[in-house]
Amino acid sequence: MTRPHIATFALIALVALATGFVLAGQIRAQLLTPSNQLARYQALVRNVQELEATNADDRRQIASLRVQIDGLESEAAARSAATQALKSQLSDLRAHAGLIAMHGPGLEVSLRNGVPGPDTGGKAGYLINFQDVQDVVNLLFAQGAEGIAVNGRRITPLTAFSGSEGQIVIDQGTPFTAPVKVAAVGDRNRMQEALDDPSALPDIRARQVQFQVHLTFEGSPNVSLPAYDSSLQIPHVSST
Amino acid sequence: MSARPRTARRASRARGISVWLIALLVALVATVQIRSEAEVERSLVGIDSTSLAFLIDDLHRANESLDAEKAALVRLRAQLQSGQSGAADQVLTDEANRLRALEGLVPVQGPGVVMVIDASGLQALDLQDALNNLAAAGAEAIDVNQRRVVTGVPVTQTRDGVAIDGVVVVPPWKISVIGDVNRLAAVADLMAQQLRADRRVREATYRIDSDVVIRSVISERPFVYAVAS
Repeated sequence: MTRPHIATFALIALVALATGFVLAGQIRAQLLTPSNQLARYQALVRNVQELEATNADDRRQIASLRVQIDGLESEAAARSAATQALKSQLSDLRAHAGLIAMHGPGLEVSLRNGVPGPDTGGKAGYLINFQDVQDVVNLLFAQGAEGIAVNGRRITPLTAFSGSEGQIVIDQGTPFTAPVKVAAVGDRNRMQEALDDPSALPDIRARQVQFQVHLTFEGSPNVSLPAYDSSLQIPHVSST
Repeated sequence: MSARPRTARRASRARGISVWLIALLVALVATVQIRSEAEVERSLVGIDSTSLAFLIDDLHRANESLDAEKAALVRLRAQLQSGQSGAADQVLTDEANRLRALEGLVPVQGPGVVMVIDASGLQALDLQDALNNLAAAGAEAIDVNQRRVVTGVPVTQTRDGVAIDGVVVVPPWKISVIGDVNRLAAVADLMAQQLRADRRVREATYRIDSDVVIRSVISERPFVYAVAS
């Protein structure tokens, strides 16, 4: 056997050995299972993306329908004083329900995730969660906020906050994560004083120290809030 | 004489090609392996499949609500477009009544649940969380000890206890809720179980009621700072 032959066979043996290791590694790592997991996961992600796209489209349509209805109501109101009076009452009710865009003096609160710290019993304390947003919104309403929007989503009398770790869902909207911007119209001095109070928002303040969670706020002479663009149906309620 | 070296050279070239082919295959398999594992790892960051499944469920329900709202608005538009005498007035009156009920300005009734929580030491945050849980389960009207609650009504901690809109609500808290009974009952059941595990809680019960009557109302506050855009 010549020297080139020996070298060739050695190379083949080496490659075969490497192939064997890779195949063994593949079987041990259960390549097929992660592939299936990945496919399943991707299918779920695609499903979420499609549902989110439908959600956004539905909300656009709802906003557009409300504009059209407002236009038709205005046309009718122009023809009758009684209708005009009704329309005026309804506009006020809609403003309080969050169905009309508004602006005025107020402030904007910014909430941002901190940095992961030592284990706290499975709770990701460094992440801004829906309870944080709920607490800030409640505090601002308690200080006389007349309207609030969170990341462009208007808060209504029926608003509910939910979500899992780090994810925030408001009403029928799609989930979002920090950074979160809470915009409020109202007495900004009163709201600023409340946010400055070290005894307010105890949970967030504790996590500011522990995880460097960010809570900042800034007053503004003109804060704009969008109109609510989701469902406000109350099918189970009737007047007594 | 020259045939043997040529054959040997051809055989050697074939071996070389097969070695390269095998090497290429190994590289390919290794790349696929590494990339697929990396992709799994990357895509699973932040959210697991179970959470995604819950998210899908929530989005389905949300989109159904949006569909119902769209259908209601389309009906409303059709009524207004009909141009019939009094149609606009009827639409405006109905819509105003619906919003008054939604904003807590008028007494309401309907199917729902009534929860009773008797505890000492529960804070405003506990009540806020309970109310938010019920709102997330589709509550359409809520009353706590004859105080009407909607999002925006302050639930605060005072020296004398928890206050709703400045009025202290002394335990036991009777929370009356109108909405989808199935969803509300499921959440009320979960809340009652969790509350019973709390040492501060003496009683946490709920009952389904086909006709919950809420008589308490909120006084509308005129806007001082906000201007319609």
